[in-house]
Amino acid sequence: MQGNGFKIGVIAAFFALTLYYLYPTIIWNLEQRQISTFTEEERTQYELDNAEKLSNLKENILSLGLDLQGGMHVTLEVGTPQLILELAGSNRNIELEVVVQLAQEVAEENDTDFIDEMQLEFERRDANARLSRFYRSESQDITRRSTNDEIVAFLKVQRDAALDRAIEIIRTRVDRFGVTEPSIVKQGQSRIVVELPGVDDEERVRNLLKGTARLEFRTGADAQDFSNFRNRAIEFYNVEADSADSLNLSGPTNELLERMSFIQTQSPYVFGYAMAEDTAKIMDLLSSSDIQRIMPRNTVVLWGSRPIGFEGGVEQFALYGVRDNSELTGEVIEEASIQFDPTTNVPEVSMGMNSEGARIWSRITGANIGKPIAIVLDGYVVSYPNVSTKINGGNSSITGLENVAEAEDLVNILLSGALPAPLQIMEERTVGATLGESSIQAGFRSVLVGLSIVAIFMIVYYRTGGGVADLALMLNIIFILGILAGFKATLTLPGMAGIVLTIGMAVDANVLIFDRIREEQRGGKTMRAAISAGYSNAMSAIIDANVTTGFVALILMSFGVGPIKGFAVTLLAGIACSLFSAIIITRVVIDYLTRNNTEAVSFG
Amino acid sequence: MRWFETPNFDFLGKRKIAYSISSILFVASLAIILTKGLQYGIDFRGGKEFVYAFDTQVKTQDVRSFLNEPLGSSPEVKLFGSDSEILIRTDNELSTDEVQNLIEGAISANISEASFSMEKSDSIGPRFAEDLKGAAAQSVVYAIVIIFLYILIRFRKWTFSVGAVAALVHDVVITLGIFTLLSDVVSFNLLIDQNIIAAFLTIVGYSLNDTVVVFDRIRENKLVHKGMDTIEMFNKSLNDTLSRTVITSLTTFFVVTILFIFGGEVLKGLSFALIIGVILGTYSSLFVASPLVLELDTKKTLNKP
Repeated sequence: MQGNGFKIGVIAAFFALTLYYLYPTIIWNLEQRQISTFTEEERTQYELDNAEKLSNLKENILSLGLDLQGGMHVTLEVGTPQLILELAGSNRNIELEVVVQLAQEVAEENDTDFIDEMQLEFERRDANARLSRFYRSESQDITRRSTNDEIVAFLKVQRDAALDRAIEIIRTRVDRFGVTEPSIVKQGQSRIVVELPGVDDEERVRNLLKGTARLEFRTGADAQDFSNFRNRAIEFYNVEADSADSLNLSGPTNELLERMSFIQTQSPYVFGYAMAEDTAKIMDLLSSSDIQRIMPRNTVVLWGSRPIGFEGGVEQFALYGVRDNSELTGEVIEEASIQFDPTTNVPEVSMGMNSEGARIWSRITGANIGKPIAIVLDGYVVSYPNVSTKINGGNSSITGLENVAEAEDLVNILLSGALPAPLQIMEERTVGATLGESSIQAGFRSVLVGLSIVAIFMIVYYRTGGGVADLALMLNIIFILGILAGFKATLTLPGMAGIVLTIGMAVDANVLIFDRIREEQRGGKTMRAAISAGYSNAMSAIIDANVTTGFVALILMSFGVGPIKGFAVTLLAGIACSLFSAIIITRVVIDYLTRNNTEAVSFG
Repeated sequence: MRWFETPNFDFLGKRKIAYSISSILFVASLAIILTKGLQYGIDFRGGKEFVYAFDTQVKTQDVRSFLNEPLGSSPEVKLFGSDSEILIRTDNELSTDEVQNLIEGAISANISEASFSMEKSDSIGPRFAEDLKGAAAQSVVYAIVIIFLYILIRFRKWTFSVGAVAALVHDVVITLGIFTLLSDVVSFNLLIDQNIIAAFLTIVGYSLNDTVVVFDRIRENKLVHKGMDTIEMFNKSLNDTLSRTVITSLTTFFVVTILFIFGGEVLKGLSFALIIGVILGTYSSLFVASPLVLELDTKKTLNKP
């Protein structure tokens, strides 16, 4: 008993530390319980009065994973190939595009660095060729003479910078969107993990996250040339169908006519109309080299971002003919705000330009009176207004928005700035609040039932020893929660499963010890000697068994993401705590119980 | 209460029977896995999964039939926990927005006055799935290598390492076989995803736990009972630790079963894997790991001090 002073001190210190870390969580839950009895006004008032206290608490509570509180988890990837092409600016050519394409395929196949593959592919084609001809830039100190290695180093720096900038922009957008406690972190070289608790409007968030917000103003295609092109393209697919499907009894088919509708009264700047699911196929048909040859010079076709109407109950999208270069880009936009059309009350976004933008804008509008100008966002036409007068002062607007939310998001991304390269959603997981709520309940129920059954079993089987082990087990669970809160880890559903599993496995150390004590007693030792021998002889088995499980948990922690990491963390915390509680706590308690009378304890 | 107080089972004498059982299960599992292929979930295959909750009962075959056309490829439709919740899994490559719109449009058009809400959605790109698969495979390999090395260092004999790792591989392969066999039979999700990998690694850790306790006792008995016949010593060690093995297995079995019953639909696959793992892990540490150590010890080094 004499030697236990130190042990008791350690236990008390550990317990105090645990309570310290769990205190905010306990108070927070009590607060929430109190708040839930309030009326709406009382609550708002209370939250206002105690804003500082509540936000302090909230920062330190044991937070729940997205799978428990509901929300959205998105992994985005910065399109490095697009960024590399973008950086080449006007030096970009078909050769570079081919190299980038091939390097991308190789890098994906072999899981290697795309930029390194690009250098290899480029040099494989011509060992003496220099990447500097694409990336010459005085401001970056890159000259004709820069070596390929220098360029590659420059590109890698640019990639890192692009990722950092993308994170910054995403953060601004998310903040403007108004998510409480979002988490936005970098993962690897080109990925961003965004976690948005409580978000339930997935579609809006997706658009908000991945839109590059590249705004362009382009003039329309030449009306006469574009109409001729349309007729020739339709004609082209007629001929094709005739020759290829001559045996087709249902008559000649025209792939283009099958998927698109053309109406007499349509604007000369519109190629045709189609349903959303046909748009990709139509772009395939129109990008064939034969069609590209008859396409008017400096002209491209772009889809509208919103349906322009219905046909047979299905939404129809327009395909517009516009110039292939932009007259102005979003960089000139200085302000953006929501306005409402005075007659229809439909929301629109009005934009103000800086002085340089305003000067160019007035020149373009002046030169295109009576013709359309396309406002293009991320490759889709968002507005296609006809210019009625020359516009001075740099005002423009995007109309035809569906609702205020869409207008808000558009203002948000216009003001947050354009992403350096498009982001692609690699992984997306959403959990609704209802499922989260029922998962919490399922988790708690499992912990409670598991704990009760194991506790009863231990008492029945090991009597006093079992009771002491149960005490250790309860403390164990409190310690695990304390560690999670202390390390600011989140509690997930698999994490709760880890706790349940720990309940079953944590008693193992005590089972080893108690069985050993029984064995030593059978060997004729007195109770006190048996206890002492039991603890010391069981030790090596306990250590070996827990170290190996600990390794596994560590591996799982480094591999797992999100909820699985939560599982590994609780498992690891559980192992550490169960070692502590089974070896030290139970020993102290048993020593205390046997201080006067060794018969006071029984191991069944 | 005392079970197995002084048991005296001849575990090693029965090892030939155990070998036959294990070999049959192992080969059958391999055969199932090879013929049917591992049934990956979207984590490792890519794809999209949606769970919808309805306010009334829904029939999966109805949902499947009206989703076939809009989604193009035939989607998997299963109940998710209750008969008013369904899980839809599709390989359709359109964006999540579009697929979601197609599904919700089809539901509204086909179930009159349907009131439903999305409870959960997962959408994994093919490249991301590849990455996850690589990381998972890596973690399993690392786990096995590290365990091999730890046991080698701790017990100083490669035979112990091989025995322990063989038992782990035995457990994981048979669990995989059972998963593959049952994946279309049971109503809950048994596809191999991140959760299942976590369960496998836990099984590895658990099974090892049992094995190491027995090895530890073998090491001890070797020192205490010098000159004892090796088979007898192994049997004694297994018997000495039997009570503990049974009790710990029982408590662990209790909690994983509770998890299976109360843990909700999301944890069904994980807890099912753990249930099988606990049973197999206990069996393999008694009948696979230690007997194998004995078999591998052809030079009878275990007899010598």
